[in-house]
Amino acid sequence: MSIASNAITTNGTSQKMTKSQFKTYLTLILISLYCMVPFIWVVLASVDPKASQFLKIPESVSMDHYWNLFANQSGLRWILNSIVINVSATIIALVFAGFGGYAISRTKAWWKLPLLYAIILVRIVPPPALIVPVYKVMLTLNDWVNALINAVFTDVATQQTMSRAFSFVDGYLGLILILAAMQLPLAIWIMKTFFDAIPIDYEESAAIDGATQWQTVRKVLIPLAMPGFAAAGLFAFINAWGDFLMPLMFTSSPELQTLPLGLFRAFLRVDAIDYGFLTALAVIYTLPAVIAFSFARKFLTQTFSGGVKG
Amino acid sequence: MQLTYERRKQLTYRFMMTPALLLMFIFIVFPAFYAFSLSLTNEALLGFAAKESSFVGLSNFERLFADPLFWNSLKVTLLFVIGSAVIGQFLLGFLSAVLLLRPIRFKAMFNAMICLPNAVPEMVVGFLWISMYASGEYGTLNRIVAWFGVDPQQWLYSFPLMAIIIVNTWRGVAFAMILLTSGLSSIPKDIYEAARVDGASDRQIFWRITIPMLMPTIFLYMFVSTVTTFAIFGLVYTLSRGGPANSTEILGIYIYNQSFTAFQLGYGASVAVVSLVVSMLIGVFYVRMFKVEV
Repeated sequence: MSIASNAITTNGTSQKMTKSQFKTYLTLILISLYCMVPFIWVVLASVDPKASQFLKIPESVSMDHYWNLFANQSGLRWILNSIVINVSATIIALVFAGFGGYAISRTKAWWKLPLLYAIILVRIVPPPALIVPVYKVMLTLNDWVNALINAVFTDVATQQTMSRAFSFVDGYLGLILILAAMQLPLAIWIMKTFFDAIPIDYEESAAIDGATQWQTVRKVLIPLAMPGFAAAGLFAFINAWGDFLMPLMFTSSPELQTLPLGLFRAFLRVDAIDYGFLTALAVIYTLPAVIAFSFARKFLTQTFSGGVKG
Repeated sequence: MQLTYERRKQLTYRFMMTPALLLMFIFIVFPAFYAFSLSLTNEALLGFAAKESSFVGLSNFERLFADPLFWNSLKVTLLFVIGSAVIGQFLLGFLSAVLLLRPIRFKAMFNAMICLPNAVPEMVVGFLWISMYASGEYGTLNRIVAWFGVDPQQWLYSFPLMAIIIVNTWRGVAFAMILLTSGLSSIPKDIYEAARVDGASDRQIFWRITIPMLMPTIFLYMFVSTVTTFAIFGLVYTLSRGGPANSTEILGIYIYNQSFTAFQLGYGASVAVVSLVVSMLIGVFYVRMFKVEV
């Protein structure tokens, strides 16, 4: 910044402004391209009858891959399995986190602080570190459940159906419960922060006005905590939906496969990869997560800033 | 009367806490402790030890610390975390946050495009990038570098670690951007005005005001992104499964390979113990250091 820069005319200054603006736009465009190119491929390939591994403009556009997905037994099955398992896991996590978050927000007992710190630590346990012990826990629970089923039901067909539903290894219940458990620390934390923001006076005045406990919960607490439930539910759903490790470990039979595993195994068949099918499936699999994320975005900072004191 | 009411309330709270605690205990806390005890046995899925495992003391750890593959895995994990979470995501996220706070057009569009990768399931991330990294002259990345006169490469074979770092950076830019944007916008504007009046240059304002005021957010970001990157599994597993030649075998993959490919559960558990201890240390450090408000 010497004499030269002082001598710049109005025109010069505005040119300099454009230059910095140009740099801003150029940088943002480059970052956006980096973010977008893989999506351009997957979307174009999913509507290209001659889909391949390479990015190219389709010569013709058709939705056939998507229709095939729903006509194709396994594709539809994976989608339904994913929905059933992840929605159940999200609901369980939400209900448990709703109770837990409320209790930990309202209590003044000695266990409040230790529990909050413990939840932070539980939240950062890396799931891959748990695979061996969790696998053994699941095997044990599986034995118990199946022994119970065999004791209660005598009919073999019923035994098999019940076993499919309630088994911990290669069954629905185990996957649902473990996915729910993994989402709980964050969900409890979110619910706790939202309940903290609801003054206890609201509940007390409702009680004084003669509302029953259930009425207070339904008419006062749940409506006020709705944004909390939305945030906790969205994050639980996104994380469970995207999880790959748990289905990889605990599903083997084809009827039980969910989207991530189905996609992964279909992709491993190196001899005959059907890129049209895979890309359409990937788009369908990604869509719910993107929609959920677009709603969850505004909660992101709230949930992670577990309150940092400067 | 008052006392019994209080007491009943406390009991209700405990009761409400129970289902969540039970679920977390069965599937997270108990397994974490169980990993410690398993790591002291020669538990295996095949062979003699599968029938009857026995207590072997610290011999898994002796073997672990003498195992070059373990040290390799630790090194790869460290480089992966530093390369993607600490450097890649942070720099690009910070840059995007700063640029998007300027008065520019298409703000919402840029924002949406940068956020999109963050929402994608791990498995799809791997699938998308295998296509980007496809070898041969039609591979997308090869066609891009061809403009700069670079010959087609086999990215996942020649630069495997760099390749997974680029993928994870891609995925996490949005998280850094969102967090840092909120940090940047919470810095009071009058501080900047006061500094300008005092004649501070842009550079001085950036280093003396923006960065120090942003420090708590930066630390929060570093903590969250370090522990999440440390726990990554699916993304690398779908891209490279730890290969070629263990060059991308981050700890999660190493545990999986030792336990379910080599069937050595006890040994796998000892790696898991190391991984648990490291993440707990990071967690305790963070909680103590920054007095997390609970």
